[in-house]
Amino acid sequence: METSYDVIVVGGGHAGTEAAAASARIGARTLLISPDLGRLGQMSCNPAIGGVAKGVVAREIDALGGLMGRATDASSIHFRMLNRSKGPAVWGPRAQCDRGLYPRAIRRFLDETPGLDLFQEMVTGLLLDEVSMGARDGRVRGVRTRGGLEFRAESVVVTTGTFLRGRIHIGGEGASVELARGLEETGLTMGRFKTGTPPRIDGRSVDYERLEIQPGDEIDYRFSAYTREPRLEQRPCWMLWTGPALRTVVEDNLKRSALYGGEISGRGPRYCPSIEDKVVRFPDAERHKVFLEPEGLETTELYVNGLSTSLPADVQRAFLQTLPGLERVRLTKVGYAIEYDYFPPEQLRATLEVRRFEGLYFAGQINGTTGYEEAAGQGLVAGANAALRVRGRDPLVLGRDEAYIGVMIDDLVTRGVDEPYRLFTSRAEFRLLLRHDNAVERLGELGVESGLLDRGQEEALRAREGERARLEGWLDETRIGIAEANVILDEVGESRVSEARPVRELLKRPAVPLDALLRSCGDAEGLVGAEIQSSVEVEVKYEGYVARERERAERLRRQAGFALPEDLPYPELKTLSFEGREKLQRVRPESLAQAGRIPGVSASDLQNLVMEVKRWRAGAR
Amino acid sequence: MEMAPDTIVARATAPGVGAVALVRLSGPDAVGILKALLGEGFRGLEPRVASLRSLYDPVADELLDRAVVTFFPGPASYTGEDVVEISTHGGELVPSGVIEACASLGARRALPGEFTQRAYLNGKLDLVQAEAIHDLIEGRSPMARRTALHQMEGGLSQRIAAIRDGLIGLEALLVHHLDFPDEDDPPVSTGELAQRGDTLAEGLERLLSTAPEGMLLREGALAVLAGPPNAGKSSLFNAIVGSERAIVTETPGTTRDAIEVPVSIGGFPFRLIDTAGIRSRAGEVERLGIEVALRYLDQAQVVLYCHRITEAWGPEELDFLAGLDPARSILLLTCSDEGADEGAPGGDRDGDPVPAGVGFGSADPMRVSAHSGEGLDRLRERLAGLAFAGLRIRGVDGGVVTRRRQRDGIEGALGELRTFSAALRRGVPVELAATHLRPAESALEEVLGIIDPEEVLDRVFREFCVGK
Repeated sequence: METSYDVIVVGGGHAGTEAAAASARIGARTLLISPDLGRLGQMSCNPAIGGVAKGVVAREIDALGGLMGRATDASSIHFRMLNRSKGPAVWGPRAQCDRGLYPRAIRRFLDETPGLDLFQEMVTGLLLDEVSMGARDGRVRGVRTRGGLEFRAESVVVTTGTFLRGRIHIGGEGASVELARGLEETGLTMGRFKTGTPPRIDGRSVDYERLEIQPGDEIDYRFSAYTREPRLEQRPCWMLWTGPALRTVVEDNLKRSALYGGEISGRGPRYCPSIEDKVVRFPDAERHKVFLEPEGLETTELYVNGLSTSLPADVQRAFLQTLPGLERVRLTKVGYAIEYDYFPPEQLRATLEVRRFEGLYFAGQINGTTGYEEAAGQGLVAGANAALRVRGRDPLVLGRDEAYIGVMIDDLVTRGVDEPYRLFTSRAEFRLLLRHDNAVERLGELGVESGLLDRGQEEALRAREGERARLEGWLDETRIGIAEANVILDEVGESRVSEARPVRELLKRPAVPLDALLRSCGDAEGLVGAEIQSSVEVEVKYEGYVARERERAERLRRQAGFALPEDLPYPELKTLSFEGREKLQRVRPESLAQAGRIPGVSASDLQNLVMEVKRWRAGAR
Repeated sequence: MEMAPDTIVARATAPGVGAVALVRLSGPDAVGILKALLGEGFRGLEPRVASLRSLYDPVADELLDRAVVTFFPGPASYTGEDVVEISTHGGELVPSGVIEACASLGARRALPGEFTQRAYLNGKLDLVQAEAIHDLIEGRSPMARRTALHQMEGGLSQRIAAIRDGLIGLEALLVHHLDFPDEDDPPVSTGELAQRGDTLAEGLERLLSTAPEGMLLREGALAVLAGPPNAGKSSLFNAIVGSERAIVTETPGTTRDAIEVPVSIGGFPFRLIDTAGIRSRAGEVERLGIEVALRYLDQAQVVLYCHRITEAWGPEELDFLAGLDPARSILLLTCSDEGADEGAPGGDRDGDPVPAGVGFGSADPMRVSAHSGEGLDRLRERLAGLAFAGLRIRGVDGGVVTRRRQRDGIEGALGELRTFSAALRRGVPVELAATHLRPAESALEEVLGIIDPEEVLDRVFREFCVGK
């Protein structure tokens, strides 16, 4: 049996599978070890991918050659573009997936990846050489398994998710206690979080007549820009509201909740509140929205989105039965809360390498994040960097103006987390630049440079670039006649023109749609795909806003150019505030821009920091 | 973390004057030094309670003073460190002796502003408050000092912080709108968002309206004397400066055409400018025979035009007067003690009557005499009224913008907010209009010296029931 690899990935969830695939694509000999190879890419919570910001992450992963977008396309049974009523810059694609088909797709992609081995076993410890080397305490050498096997590797990516000493309240799976203990003994700091899931129900016990149906969007949306998976049959979701009866049941049983009974101490995410949280924190809210979402094509099971809980099974049944249409509901799985260990991510570099141990990378929930997309995005970056390091190449670090993945990782390593971290558009300074429709334009080339895209994907990328260039060319060269222009203008209620105009100029008017111009000036019809149209249209229409964001991003980039030495003695920099020194010492930012994003570091600290660095450099010489 | 600052000592009150002098110590050894100075007397001393004690020089073992001592344990102190305050008898000798004694016990003499700097570094003050204290120390007049005090209590900080808070609330509405579709609460209408933007902008405008006068509080309002040779300008200058001079040294102009002296008038700081006997052509309005420091004329908050009451009016004077801004000029008839109204027999020595239409307000012309003091109080009143009208009416409670840095930050934020509301009203999508809010926030944050984007999400989670 092969026991020596370039890269080993511990864990087979959304982070682990992306990490392993990315590493192997770059050409590193890679091993993925997971206690259950039958559960690779499992959707342990809601079987859905995407949403506002998160959907963009799924697109970014795809643009960098990752698995998530393709697997979503291969298993999507309900699609909605969230924020459709708003501008395209904040649209959030979201797909409900077949819980069984998604992991099957992931497994298929992994099996197709050359240079990637899979092995089923529980990892119980890391092999570390603890030699002090400058700022480091040692380097990773491989992993040890429960069966006593040792695997050697230059880089190890740990993606153990919520299983690190996971303690499940009501129901659940096995936990990695030994590995958690081993990691703790290296002196890395640990924290504890909680999260929860809602119950699932038998669709045959639901009276659909009394629910509001929510069909998916008609459009044939694809998360993958490079590969087309066959589209599956679509299913609707259902919507309903809770009422006072549910509130009464929850309130009467609060003491029996693991979350409120004092059993759980870890901090949970505020944006994913349990029904106990909703009832307690918003006493005036009369009702809460609940979605019933299909679990798959071949099952009637439904996921009760909006009612995450850690109340006992009988209470879950009782509050569900207060809902209109669910009076005779049968549970198929009870909701539960889980507590797990995480490592405060300020201990990582922007490459997701643990600062103290060379070659050791963390990705996913172990870093205090939540969500499949967040985990997968980190997995891809960690896996890529683990492989790039082995090959002696420059690391993959995405900027805050390049990708939500970049925003997330920078937030994690700079600000740390005090609740499970999830992405929102509001975490990004440059919302308008980070759109679902331009993920490929932002990241495709980077994917090629890093070696993340295979030949087929690169060809698809070039074809898409060609389409975009054709459309841009058409916009520059085409003029629209008075009569044709005025037909369109009358239709949308814009003022008429008195002479032929460049189409680009007309497109700048807010109400004039690109497809009308394309249809009118005939020869361009069917020239390019809908997504490229939409992407170009946003950039033309909101040119001023987009340009302004680009300019701000540029400024930030220039600021980032001021590098901070890694061994700067922060405690000795007396012109900085005490708090600033302490925070800087903990995070050890790589640039001035990153320093500015650390909470507790003030504007005057930054100014003084520049002076101190100059002084320190002069002194060091 | 290693963080051992030393202990500093300094006199906190101005040297020389005053019946009481305050000596302040700050740092880890402050209490130890106090103990050494008090000996047995240290016993029974309670934090934050002023107590009368005898101070001894521990080396010479002789009595230094009977003084009121108070100690403030950190971090609940001005600097955030252990602080000791000793109120000794005034004068030079006693406080110097106490400082010497402290120094012999290991304290270092503080650098200028070092107490405030420590307070800032320990997070006891934000940037605006630290600046306000600097202004307080540097303050040129009682009104400036009051402004400084108010700012120190957070007047401006509070206002800006409140508006920033409103901005974060507005952004939270947008975030709820953009990041949490499909939630329990419907999104807020764009009309209401624009309205909230306007309300915040108005708050900023109100603050901004204090800037012209507020900045004068730091720099002093320019009052320029003008008039023909021998109009009595220099006597008037000396009369005003003589009684009101706030700072001992005179600051002559950089070129030899004017003399500038900072004075306090009606509690407000002024810079009084005169050609004061400097007979260079550069200081004269050519061919008009009028002396005025030309460099200052355009920037002046007030022009004091002096005409000797006994003199005739020349056409060049009337031309000059016609060119002045009536809203910031005063016409003075000087040497009024030489005029007829003094009841002197030489009433006929009065010059021409003031020509019709000359003068800048109902109070003009004002009769003043540097010699008798006639009209000087009214002049002072009118000067303060002209240069600081707004502040006199409004007071300084609502916060006053006194620095260019503050003004620029507020102006920046205001521009972004106005654009935000206008864009929403034009039908620009919310997520595009929203791009104006972050820059507005950072502009205000720069004024306050703080940064924290995370607050927006905190607000959303507090105010909306979101998430599934």
